[in-house]
Amino acid sequence: MNLEKIVDQTFYWIDENARRSAMALSQKLSRRNFLSRLGMLITGAAAFPLLPVKRAFSQSAVQEVGDPQSCDYWRYCALSGFLCTCCGGSNTSCPPGSQPSPIAWVGTCHNPADGRDYLMSYNDCCGKTECNRCECHNTEGDRPLYFNSNSNTVYWCFGTEDTSYHCTVSMVLGTAD
Amino acid sequence: MRIPVLFAVFLLSPLTLGQIAPEVLTVETLPEPGPNWFLGKTWSGGAHIFDAHSGEMMGMVSLAKNAPTLIANPDKREIYAAESYMTRETRGTRTDIVAIYDYDNLRTVAEIEVPNHIARLPVKRHLGLLNNGRHLAVLNMNPGHSVSIVDVEDRIFVDEISTPSCAVIMPVAENDFLQVCGDGTLQLIQLDLSGFQQNRERSAVFFNVIDDPVFDRVARSADGWILPTHGGMIYEVSTDDDEILIGEGWSLIAEGEESWRPGGDEFISAHQELGLLYVAMHEGGVDTHHQYGEEIWLFDLETRQRLHRHALEAPVRSLMVTQESNPKLIVSDEAGGTQVFDAVSFRHERSIETPASVHFEDF
Repeated sequence: MNLEKIVDQTFYWIDENARRSAMALSQKLSRRNFLSRLGMLITGAAAFPLLPVKRAFSQSAVQEVGDPQSCDYWRYCALSGFLCTCCGGSNTSCPPGSQPSPIAWVGTCHNPADGRDYLMSYNDCCGKTECNRCECHNTEGDRPLYFNSNSNTVYWCFGTEDTSYHCTVSMVLGTAD
Repeated sequence: MRIPVLFAVFLLSPLTLGQIAPEVLTVETLPEPGPNWFLGKTWSGGAHIFDAHSGEMMGMVSLAKNAPTLIANPDKREIYAAESYMTRETRGTRTDIVAIYDYDNLRTVAEIEVPNHIARLPVKRHLGLLNNGRHLAVLNMNPGHSVSIVDVEDRIFVDEISTPSCAVIMPVAENDFLQVCGDGTLQLIQLDLSGFQQNRERSAVFFNVIDDPVFDRVARSADGWILPTHGGMIYEVSTDDDEILIGEGWSLIAEGEESWRPGGDEFISAHQELGLLYVAMHEGGVDTHHQYGEEIWLFDLETRQRLHRHALEAPVRSLMVTQESNPKLIVSDEAGGTQVFDAVSFRHERSIETPASVHFEDF
């Protein structure tokens, strides 16, 4: 018996068993019953393993409220500088050609959309002249220069090729509560 | 022949008589500084020199945009500044220097390269002159804190001293300086005569950086330094050899005035001989420490009593009292003007039109 025949007989055995099982089920159950149970099984199977993952995804999608080009926007509670949202960037991206600083200062801001507090990272975008648009100076939790991880007075263009300051982004690191 | 000659003289004489000697362009040298001269440091680079008595501008020192401040040394007739330059202004190779300017021409007479770590922020106490004007201490942030020591007499860089979590340079004694640290202590660095660190001391914890931090803006007193907190406490500090002395804290804010707080840029200054303390105050809540002052409060440092409250038309950004016997209070306001007051009577003497000064220095 060569290998080809063995494979053929195996597939035949699988097909035959599947056919017999399907015939037996069709004689016992109505089509609607079958479909409803199959649907429940698929839905349950899909939902069960996703529960913790889905919760994690819903955390990253922060609910937003307000104008990101305004200094009183909730993310900017400890931001001092020019808003990158007014300079060709966004809250999570630097404007074209500028260099994101890998080092940042942090703050904790309250999001009125969901009532939760979020840990914020304020990174400077560097290597260009000052944007000079949408200048904000919010000082919630701001601390003096000797405690510089919480100081918004510092130019944070450290670790970039060019160290001139352009504008500041505000990224959510996670919930603070 | 006589007639043509006389005719020519007749024609030319009006021109000759009407002509005046052409003016010659010259360059001034700075006259001897008066007792009320001061430096107004701008944000965009440079410092104007003013005479507070006349309100006249006397000259200007050109500086890099992010230079922290500048210090005049009258004994050597030199001005010292820490500056940071990029070869292509916003990009390229960075070079940090201590520049030395002369009094007569306000031009650079020497440059000393220092580590490219200067804290590029306009803060008065990021420079300190030690050892009878021989050593200049420059605050660095990279982003860890350190201090560069420069010998301005021999024009050489001496050393970079690591000072993690501590900033502000408050010269004390001959060769020492105090710093404020994030763990709520003071640090004393003592240098030898060559400018190298000889000893380092740390005080006990006397404040909490989260609850009520000491500002990174301080005022020099007759025998040490005056440290304000965000909440309006005052700590007077000094040293005795290698011992750090911290006075018992007292509050600027009386009962019923809890809504008032100190704040602004360089918002605190003291007349050392008269023992008078000037503080810009505003009404505001927690974390309003950068808000410009609505009033200037005057305190007697000996009795710790408030002597005067002075309301201002435009909020105060920075202030400085000159150290002469007839002192002037120099105020930079939010509108960009510089106001000069008699520092004792608070009589407004003049407004000086100038680009906004972020802070002032004695000259």
